[in-house]
Amino acid sequence: MSIPEKIYRWLDVRIGVGELAEKELTGYHLPVTINVWYSLGSVLLFSLALQVVTGILLLVYYVPDADKAFASVTAIMNDVPFGWLIRMCHAVGSNMMVAVLLLHMFSVLFMGSYKRPRELSWLSGFILLNMVMGISLTGYLLPWSQLSFWATTVATNSAGAIPLIGDELVQFLRGGRLVGPYTLGRFFALHVAVIPLGIALLVGVHLFLLKRIGISAPPSGQKDSRVRWKGDSYRYEEHPGGIPFYPNYVVQDMSSICFYLALFLLVVFFDPYIFFPKDAFIPANPFQTPAHIKPEWYFLPNYQTLKIFPSEFMGLMAQGLAMTFLALLPFVDRNPERHPLKRPLFLACAIGGILLWIGLMIWGHYS
Amino acid sequence: MSTARSMMYGLTLLVLTLFPIPRNAAAETVCIQCHTAQTGRGLKPVKPWQESIHAENGISCHHCHGGDAADAANAMDPARGFLGAPKETAIPDFCGRCHIGIKSDYLKSAHGHALGKGGPTCVTCHGSHGIKKAALELINEKTCTQCHSFERARVIRTAMEQTEHSLTTLTKRLDAFKAKGVDTDALEKRLFAERNRYHTLFHEVNTAKVKAESGLIAGELDKLKTALDKIDEKFKKRKMAGAAAVGAALLAAVLFHLLRKTYS
Repeated sequence: MSIPEKIYRWLDVRIGVGELAEKELTGYHLPVTINVWYSLGSVLLFSLALQVVTGILLLVYYVPDADKAFASVTAIMNDVPFGWLIRMCHAVGSNMMVAVLLLHMFSVLFMGSYKRPRELSWLSGFILLNMVMGISLTGYLLPWSQLSFWATTVATNSAGAIPLIGDELVQFLRGGRLVGPYTLGRFFALHVAVIPLGIALLVGVHLFLLKRIGISAPPSGQKDSRVRWKGDSYRYEEHPGGIPFYPNYVVQDMSSICFYLALFLLVVFFDPYIFFPKDAFIPANPFQTPAHIKPEWYFLPNYQTLKIFPSEFMGLMAQGLAMTFLALLPFVDRNPERHPLKRPLFLACAIGGILLWIGLMIWGHYS
Repeated sequence: MSTARSMMYGLTLLVLTLFPIPRNAAAETVCIQCHTAQTGRGLKPVKPWQESIHAENGISCHHCHGGDAADAANAMDPARGFLGAPKETAIPDFCGRCHIGIKSDYLKSAHGHALGKGGPTCVTCHGSHGIKKAALELINEKTCTQCHSFERARVIRTAMEQTEHSLTTLTKRLDAFKAKGVDTDALEKRLFAERNRYHTLFHEVNTAKVKAESGLIAGELDKLKTALDKIDEKFKKRKMAGAAAVGAALLAAVLFHLLRKTYS
């Protein structure tokens, strides 16, 4: 018996790894019609892991002090061996993770996978999206550059539009009247401890729900693409005659992850500066406001919404309503039909909504 | 109105014309309010100043001429530090309050030695209100031939042209690296020192000295260029490594995809 076999045997008799592998890998069946969109979840887990690893490496050299933060990031970029690569991977990774997360959400939306009994899966995923955007926002301040400082000033200013508690909320977020060392301290704590813990917890909940409810079959290629669950009792959605997760779909996941990695490395090595305007490399100066400070691309629609409404409060309300509607979509859309082409009203609203979002983003970029 | 009173009024207007107003703070100073409302000589300095390097850097009327730029009634009160316009021989001291090193360079030069004897002052080349930035273009036939032939000035300008070109190119390259997160601080300081050294030549009229000094500056700039070439080389190597990594990831993606097909 070889050494790996001995180790396997040793573990198997103690914790039953063979049975576990059979149940979770080879015996875990997925729908025959499963498509490539389903692998976006694995791509997201991979990109999240990449963020954790690069984030920990950055923590070794980063100094969360307003007087030293910019210099420490400059040192990471110039003096630490492969520091530039780690920082670029972390910064580009955060942007690409949001992009993949949105694609994952759109695929769930169009395939109707958010419908009952998967309301909680949708809700946990939606909260995850917000937490990822939150971790990106808090991470944006940490390099303490002109871009960081003023983008955070603009972002935290928006909270001031909320009646009654606006001013107090802004001060709470900033740790003072203006963005300063205290803001950096609390954003750092949120970025490296609070939000990551929340994300880890929610990823766990999301995967637990996936395993408990079972994976949904794509609506295309089915005679009856309506939700079959009646809502009478708990039922695990099985796929008899489906394909095993391992090795069949694991290789699909690997293919998607490698493709994502190729795209990611292409940006990291050839043009990471699409995510770094010039102000990203100038130290923060509270006395000098740059001419055109814009948030990250995924916050541009929010930024533009605040500008087009007569008051910031109305802009915030509109965003709040849109987000609440999206979060509660599975409870609003009770139609059992999942196929997008058999849901023309949904299709029109979804495409219209996405186009509006993209339009606001472009408008925000050029405004 | 008596002739003496008219003359005093005219003199006041003339003095007022010497108040250039900063572009950004134009609405805040009484100098600009008064001068833009005037015609003729009173208005004359406003536009040239607005296009000057002083305006670009926020240097206002009172920074040179003194006085109180916030109080129209007492703007020209000597008690408020108003200096008025300097006499010709006092111009180097007037400008030299800020441009200390340049004043020293000028006074050491043949131009400075001719001060008060028909030689040029700061405003002869740089202008009085439409102040021009020290640049090679200031050494031109039109300006220089006000006093002497252009022959020697041409030799000086030719010697400095290459340095100017190198300085401009290196500045652009440094800016590009800075926008990529490269720590250019030390290199910028070296370039700044060489640019200052080069600027001291603007008031030097000894052709041999200008040629020798330009050669030394060129040597230092070459060292800077070598340092920037090394950074360029590093970026090229990164891209080559990146191309290999992207290729490997793509190949793996295709192989996994083909493997997936075999399971179908």
